[in-house]
Formats: sequence, C-alpha cells, structure tokens
Amino acid sequence: MSTTPDKLVDRYLKHLEVELDDLPRDRRSEIVDEIAVHIAEARAVLEHETEADVRNILEGLGDPADIAEEARERFEVGSSAPALASYKPGWIEVGALVLLLVGAIVLPLFGWVIGVVLLWISNAWNVRDKFIGTLFWPGGLGFSLFLVFYGASQSVSSSPTSCQVSPVGTGQPANCIESSNSTGVMDVLAIVLMVAVVVTPVITTAYLAYRLRHQPGAATA
Amino acid sequence: MVAGKQDALLAQMRKGTLQYCVLALLADEERYGFDLVRSLAETDGMVTSEGTIYPLLSRLRRDGLVETTWRESTSGPPRRYYRLTTAGRAALEAFKGEWGRFRDAVDHFVERKAG
Repeated sequence: MSTTPDKLVDRYLKHLEVELDDLPRDRRSEIVDEIAVHIAEARAVLEHETEADVRNILEGLGDPADIAEEARERFEVGSSAPALASYKPGWIEVGALVLLLVGAIVLPLFGWVIGVVLLWISNAWNVRDKFIGTLFWPGGLGFSLFLVFYGASQSVSSSPTSCQVSPVGTGQPANCIESSNSTGVMDVLAIVLMVAVVVTPVITTAYLAYRLRHQPGAATA
Repeated sequence: MVAGKQDALLAQMRKGTLQYCVLALLADEERYGFDLVRSLAETDGMVTSEGTIYPLLSRLRRDGLVETTWRESTSGPPRRYYRLTTAGRAALEAFKGEWGRFRDAVDHFVERKAG
C-alpha cells in the first residue's frame, strides 16, 4: 500500500492545526486529537482502503478553515471585540504614556525611567513599539525642552556660528565670518530641528496610544 | 427574501439547534465522537461538514453539559465517550418544551398559508 493516504491525513491535520492557531492550546489539541481519532475510526472500517476513500473521509470532515471558523464561533474567540476587551488600557499603559511624555519634567530622569519600565512591562505593545517608545526620545518632552533651551542659549551667546577655513595660500589660519545669509539658513534649520525635537515625543505618545486602540493581536508581544 | 440571506438564516438555525440534537442523541446512551458524527450526518440537512461537530463537542464539555471518558477500542485508537450530565439533561428538557411551542407556532402560520 502506498503512503499517499497517510500523507493526505498528515497534511489535513497540519492544515487544521494551523487554522486553529488562535485558539487556546488545550482546545486546539482537543479538536485536532478528536478529528485524528475520527479519521482513524473511519479508515479502520474500510476493508481495502484506497486513496479515494481517504479523500472522501477528509472531504466529509470539511475544510479545516470551516472547522476553525466554527471553533472560533463556539468559543467566541478571534473576533476583534473580545481581544480588544482583554487589552483594555489599564493604569500601566496610561502611566507609561504620561510618564514617557512628561515624566522627566515632573520628576527629573526618574519619571521617564519609570515610564520606560511600565512600557516594557505592559502586554499592550509589541517589541517594535516598545523600542520606538524608548528611543524617541529618552526623557520625552523633558529632553526636548532641555535641547531647545540649550540650543537657544548657545545661539544667543555665540552669534558667529559659521566658521570657514580660508583658502590655502592667503596666510590667514581660520576665518569666522558673520555672514547674515548663512546665519539665516542656520536659524531656520535650528528652528526646524527644535520643532522636530519637541514634536517627536508627542507623535511617539500619540502613536503608542493609537496602537493601544488598534492592535488586537498584541498578545504576541 | 434574497437567497443568500435565507441560506445564512438556515445555517444559523441549524447551528443553534445542533447542540440540542447532540444532547438528544446522548439522552439514552453514551457515544463516541465518530459514532455521534455519523448519526448526525445520516439525517439529511443537519450537518454539512462533519468536522464542525468537534468544536461543538468541546464547547459542550467545557460548559458542563456533557462529560467524557476514554475507553479502549478493539478496532483502533482509544475513543472518547460522551455522556449527558445532569445540567445537560436539564438543558435538553428545557429546550424540548420551548422548541415544541416554537415549532407549533411557526407551523401554524407557514402550513396554513401553504395549504
């Protein structure tokens, strides 16, 4: 006897297992085991098993996707509503969002660090989101404000910011010129940078909050 | 009514009543999965995919309406036998009463118009 019927059964059961992937493991194995026994029972009844017999048995059982769909309905899993309910933002998520953004202002350094700890404790975000939350920016708005004030004080104290090395042969070592044109460009650049620096943690926080609401599959984090 | 809608309605009715058919099959004797599925499939129009019975059996077990025991089989792997619990029997009896009234009420209108 060829091994093709066994292969067909194996393929069917594997397919079923994949389709049942989002069910709790005990339920998934219960259903797969029962269907494996069902197939064995049906095959045991046959006197001279043919490939067609096995195909008929599998066809009678139905498409694994249909069985999985039935299982999701019976156990009320898979639809986004219950998954969202189980990831209802709790104090950990709210705390993480608030502290990541303004923690460093309220409680220098530590406020933000606590925010990061909460971010990584929470199950609501995946690893990618957690890295984004941690890296943009360390310190959150506190870091942004520090940069902005630092940058502002720097540009005030040393207005001739653009220095140029003079062309070879003129004898002058280095020439710091106060070109109004290049300073203007630098100022615009600085302002854009400052705005970006301030806006980034706000965007990061908004993004994390958005992921909280629109991520039913967060359980894989 | 649109044909697709009607199909969906019938599928829902089948799905809703299927568990009571299973409970009824278990009312007098315990049965194993393959036996149960074949009995249901014998009656035309009740089950389209035999495999979809197993999620239902699993659910009934978790709801405490049936309980199971593994027994050795002479012809193959061990079988999981299903049997009604007290709660399962109570659910079946309650459904029988409701179903009888519902069926009579629907018949009262549908049959009168048809005849």
